[in-house]
Amino acid sequence: MHFAKPLAGRTSLALGFFLALSISEGLVVRAQTAPSDVAAGQKLFRANCAGCHKWHGGGGGGYGGDALSLRKTKLDRAAIIETIGCGRPGTGMPYHLRDAYENGACYGLKENDVANGMALAANNFLRPTEIAAIADYVIANVKGRGEPNYAECVAFFGTGSRVCNIYGDQRTAGAATK
Amino acid sequence: MDRNRSRLFGGCALGLVLALGLMGKPAGAQDVTDQRLLNADQEEGNWILHHKDYSAQRFSTLNQINAGNVKDLRVAWTLQLGGVEGGGIWSHGGLEGTPLAENGFLYVTDGWGSLYKIDTHGGQGVLMWKMDPKTDHDWAGAIACCGVDNRGAAFWHNLVVTHTLDGRLIATDKETGKILWQRQVANPDKGEVVTGAPLVVHDMAITGVAGAEYGIRGWIAATDLNTHQELWRTYTIPAKGEPGSETWKDDHDALATGGGSTWVTGSYDPATDTIVWGVGNPGPDWDNAYRPGDNLYTDSTLGLDAKTGQIKWHFQHTPNDPFDYDSVAENVLVDVNGQKLALEADRNGVGYAVDRTNGKFVWALPFVKQFTWTKGIDPTTGRPVDYDPSKGVQTYVASVTPSRTNKVTTICPGNMGGKNWPPTAYNPTLHLWYIPVIESCNRITVEETIPGKSFKPREGFTGGGPSDPIRITGSVTAIDVTTGKMAGKAETPYPMLGGLLATPDLVFAGQPDGKVMALDAKSLATLWEFNTGGGVSAPPMTFTVDGKQYIALLVGQGGAWDKWFIDSTPDLKRIAPGSTLYVFRL
Ligand code: HEC
Repeated sequence: MHFAKPLAGRTSLALGFFLALSISEGLVVRAQTAPSDVAAGQKLFRANCAGCHKWHGGGGGGYGGDALSLRKTKLDRAAIIETIGCGRPGTGMPYHLRDAYENGACYGLKENDVANGMALAANNFLRPTEIAAIADYVIANVKGRGEPNYAECVAFFGTGSRVCNIYGDQRTAGAATK
Repeated sequence: MDRNRSRLFGGCALGLVLALGLMGKPAGAQDVTDQRLLNADQEEGNWILHHKDYSAQRFSTLNQINAGNVKDLRVAWTLQLGGVEGGGIWSHGGLEGTPLAENGFLYVTDGWGSLYKIDTHGGQGVLMWKMDPKTDHDWAGAIACCGVDNRGAAFWHNLVVTHTLDGRLIATDKETGKILWQRQVANPDKGEVVTGAPLVVHDMAITGVAGAEYGIRGWIAATDLNTHQELWRTYTIPAKGEPGSETWKDDHDALATGGGSTWVTGSYDPATDTIVWGVGNPGPDWDNAYRPGDNLYTDSTLGLDAKTGQIKWHFQHTPNDPFDYDSVAENVLVDVNGQKLALEADRNGVGYAVDRTNGKFVWALPFVKQFTWTKGIDPTTGRPVDYDPSKGVQTYVASVTPSRTNKVTTICPGNMGGKNWPPTAYNPTLHLWYIPVIESCNRITVEETIPGKSFKPREGFTGGGPSDPIRITGSVTAIDVTTGKMAGKAETPYPMLGGLLATPDLVFAGQPDGKVMALDAKSLATLWEFNTGGGVSAPPMTFTVDGKQYIALLVGQGGAWDKWFIDSTPDLKRIAPGSTLYVFRL
């Protein structure tokens, strides 16, 4: 599954314009998008975020770097959108907006301002609407949750797999492959 | 063995019968006995063990394709395989396997463990059957640190034996492709998955496990192929009180989650009945203050008694490892200067030779261009010179070593190596050992691991993580095994993620940008190159059919690179997943 959807010339121009406006207002990519489809957000989360933040958003160490917990995050929707789009230079959190560091849209920084290799690009870039959908999913289903549980796991993966066994549902536990 | 093929194969049968008729001999499976496996190097046109023979030299004596004519090598045929779908945290599967070849039939696996039998007679590749083990994608894929991978199959009599990512050993009938039996060897509920090819020795299939990034306690297990029962399981991390446990000096049972994966197929020395197998990193990877002590048998090579699995000897490369410098590498068994050596190219960037009868150190040589974590290897002990036996927590070159006080740091080689799983190859005439090198540095961020809190089943247990702001390249580096000195380095624009094949005067390699190449065995000059148009992360092999030599290679970006390490090779982002078998001929 790849969600790389290159921003076509016009869209990117428009985005640049919007971002430039945002900066002048000191808002920086805090897009005012309407709440979106949470199911779509979940799909996008799975494809783009779960590798580092885990399916449950709890994060932790791993080859994806040391991802923070989105269950415990204090960030609001706008700040989550900003973090997804701009990443966090100097950490393992990549930016998901193709033009994040081309026109000062992120933290007012351009490519040359960010020390070489400090701002990491995501494997797949996302459109602003996709980023908003992920943020809405994080707010609705991840932020503020306690320990992950079986129901939440099944809601994420479905029931076809033993991936949720360890959360204690006995219906599937130990169902060996024959 | 069911000879009644026409009923089994339906439409395929006619073609097969014709092919057999033309060949004028009963092709198909022969019994793969212990004796044949012991003499695998003498079956010139076949490739019946994962690493070609028990010594893991990956050297073929075939020389129809040679330095003089390799420029004319071209694609004979290709075959699309499957297994490209995602699962767990992975958006796609990939190919890392080495095909097996017997009497003109190839046996290959895809990342999810499907096994394909391909008839290569008549200059083409015809799929005879596919065994799909119905791997539980999310169960396994959510805890596979490093991709949806399967490195190949093993033969035993009329069976083809394979693993699945979700931890099973599967025995398939070579003629029909039917699963005859299977056994759960590893437990994904504990964070264990299996990616390596089985090693068949005597009547056992040896299984290695992956999961040191998930707090497993590693092991190597032997399944009796006659009874389907486990014969032995040797843990690579001792239990409390066992020999080696004194090298875990903490007070919070770090042993129990100590890592020590074994996911690269080992080698076997029949003369001493010893299995030689590499062991991976300790867990948590980068927070070595959590586990003071040398942490045996992590980052070690083990010599195991084949009958019992007992550890006869060990040699450790990176004690109390703070870098993720696995020693999950194949050991290449060679005899030179009257010495019986085991050669290992380590993630830590050093090539080692030890005496394979007792594990005694012989020589070591750093084979990477950038090497910062230690000032060197002690020529008498084989230990890093900055190793301090009086310290529980090693700091090596402290300014670069990840630690609780040096939380963001750049290490060379990076945590992928050095040399990762892709196999080396050895030319026994030239005494040259070829290493597929990742020329790298990367950045490590340390997170302190908290006893009783940080470990959760199926969750990452790494004490931090890598990131890759620095460009990574590669090389094929040759070491003269008679002297332990470097004999050449052919630099490549990308890291070597696929492994090597040696023939009398050539070395074959593939690159993650899709290029396949043949190098001159002595000068390492590129004599032939072809772009497959996909990512290569599997080793080439060679075989004959109808009297002609072919080179076969799986193409389809596998492993962890495009998910975790792509920032170091940004132009590889354009490579799409794929799943193709390429076969070349003159
Ligand atoms: C390559 C790994 C990686 C990927 C992919 C990734 N993240 Fe992150 N993320 C991190 C790391 C590492 C941090 C911690 C940064 C820090 O130390 O401040 C982080 C931090 C964050 C934060 C800040 C949390 C806080 O409380 O400060 C948010 C929000 C976030 N990520 C959301 C996402 C979302 C949503 C996605 C998918 C679109 C995503 N991340 C993809 C690694 C990743």
